[in-house]
Amino acid sequence: MDAKLDVSTKSVISLKRNTFPLIWQMFEDVNTSPSPSLEGDMSIPGKRTTTTTAQNGVPDYNTLDEPIRETVLRDIRAVGVKFYHVLYPKEKSSLLRDWDLWGPLVLCTFMATILQGSSSADSMSDNGPEFAQVFVIVWIGAAIVTLNSKLLGGNISFFQSVCVLGYCLTPVAISLIVCRIILLSVQTRLLFFLRFVTTTMGFAWATYASFIFLGQSQPPHRKPLAVYPIFLFFFIISWLVLSHN
Amino acid sequence: METPTADDLLQFRDYSSTSATNNGAPAQINVNSPTHASGGGRGGIGSGFGGAGGQSSTQRQRGDPLADLIYDMSTSAQAMAGGGANNAQNATLDGSGGGGGGGGGGSGARLSFLTIEYYQQFFNVDTYMVLERIANSMIPKRASGNYLRMNIGENPDLYGPFWITVTLIFSIAISGNIASYLHHASDGYHWHYNFHLVSYAATCIFLYANILPAILWALFKYSLKPVNEADAVETDSATYTPTLLSLMCIYGYSLAIYIPVSILWVINISLLQWLLVITAALLSGTVLIAVLTPALRNSQFSLFLIIGILSAHVVLAAGFMLYFFHNPPESPVATMPLPTAPSVLKAVTQAAGKAVLPGNQTH
Repeated sequence: MDAKLDVSTKSVISLKRNTFPLIWQMFEDVNTSPSPSLEGDMSIPGKRTTTTTAQNGVPDYNTLDEPIRETVLRDIRAVGVKFYHVLYPKEKSSLLRDWDLWGPLVLCTFMATILQGSSSADSMSDNGPEFAQVFVIVWIGAAIVTLNSKLLGGNISFFQSVCVLGYCLTPVAISLIVCRIILLSVQTRLLFFLRFVTTTMGFAWATYASFIFLGQSQPPHRKPLAVYPIFLFFFIISWLVLSHN
Repeated sequence: METPTADDLLQFRDYSSTSATNNGAPAQINVNSPTHASGGGRGGIGSGFGGAGGQSSTQRQRGDPLADLIYDMSTSAQAMAGGGANNAQNATLDGSGGGGGGGGGGSGARLSFLTIEYYQQFFNVDTYMVLERIANSMIPKRASGNYLRMNIGENPDLYGPFWITVTLIFSIAISGNIASYLHHASDGYHWHYNFHLVSYAATCIFLYANILPAILWALFKYSLKPVNEADAVETDSATYTPTLLSLMCIYGYSLAIYIPVSILWVINISLLQWLLVITAALLSGTVLIAVLTPALRNSQFSLFLIIGILSAHVVLAAGFMLYFFHNPPESPVATMPLPTAPSVLKAVTQAAGKAVLPGNQTH
């Protein structure tokens, strides 16, 4: 019992102990100290000291205390790393493991903004694709290509594949920028040939990069069946880039 | 995973971990009703998962609820792995027969149409099978007599028809734009890319590849010749009508010949264009008739159906050529753009579109 109790209380308790022993035993472990102290830590269960991401991509560190700039910069750095890996496709695990859709969204919006035709008063002339048409072609096209590779028996998840296809638009976007710069001057056959070469290189680079990332996930007898839609997807987008004027 | 030998398949081996066989597919629980024991067992023994499958099927007969749960989860795991690995394995062993067996085993398990595994049975083809079917659709008499029933009927695939139609749409749209660009390159006409060609081509081709097989399927079923059981020698083949999927597969592959032809249509020589129309329509029309002969024989209107199929094919080819590619050289006018049929239709449609949706043009 607590030593802070004074004698009178102790005598009352001992009296009660003798008269109602059974009832007292039920309440014997009750803490009768005046103010129980409540202390503790608020910590995330299972917290580890390393700052690397776990297997399923959930960060292990405590993100509540850090400044917002740190949080935003971390995501931007992840997106930047993925762009780098697409341009120099040697190591493929980071794109597949930590997928995100920021890169594809930025690229798609950028390309659709540049590719959209301007509305002109001339009713006989027609224009390029609208913003929505390019957007739909990129996203629905990536979804259909992913669905195709899943139906053929590939073991890649839906969003990983959409992420890879979106990031592999980077060379096509670069060729679009180059073509736009070339279009600033008066057009000649040589400049058209230059645009053609640039677009073809962007298309070949995009297909090669996505083949490196996605080629391993298919059963070997069906690899050409899965690669052909990817080829078609980038071919159509490169055609949109080339025919833009 | 190495190719299993015959001895491996005949033994009841218990494969240790699902990761080795599933190749990283996510583990899922199939919440569908329990599959039949025969379907699960057949698929299991065929692919070498026979250890787990065999034991589960014997346990199930005891009616133990725990055994039921184990059986359900193991068959759902097999359905996940069997959809992918089973088809690949069977394809390495047997070719088209094994593919048919694997596809038959998968459909025998009564998958729900809301799962992706249900649709995987329609994509159960390998590269060489797709190429083989494309070649069979272009060269008459290359396919065997019972091609429709034995080859396509057992394993109809949707990969070929879908991607051939998509490729055809874009090849016609792109070649049509190239053709109109080359036609107008000599004038002072400032050429603009016409994106509407894609939508027109898409509508046309999807309607042809989907509605026409449906109509044909209905006509085959409706016009089946009545069979007298006592007289007929082969009642099985006399009552044969092709399934809707087989017809869609045949029609999809028959459009494959138009892909190289559409690229050749860019050459602006009228005689050559018409020659290409006639050649392509005759070739693929002949293949269509030859492949559909077993079903046409059983129909009362066989002559009308033959004429209908051939004329639809010719009309499709001629329509493509005339609408997208036929730019006959006229006397050049310097300032006015030449009112060819595509541009007139384009202008009318655009005017109609602008009238209906006035707010669409603002960006």
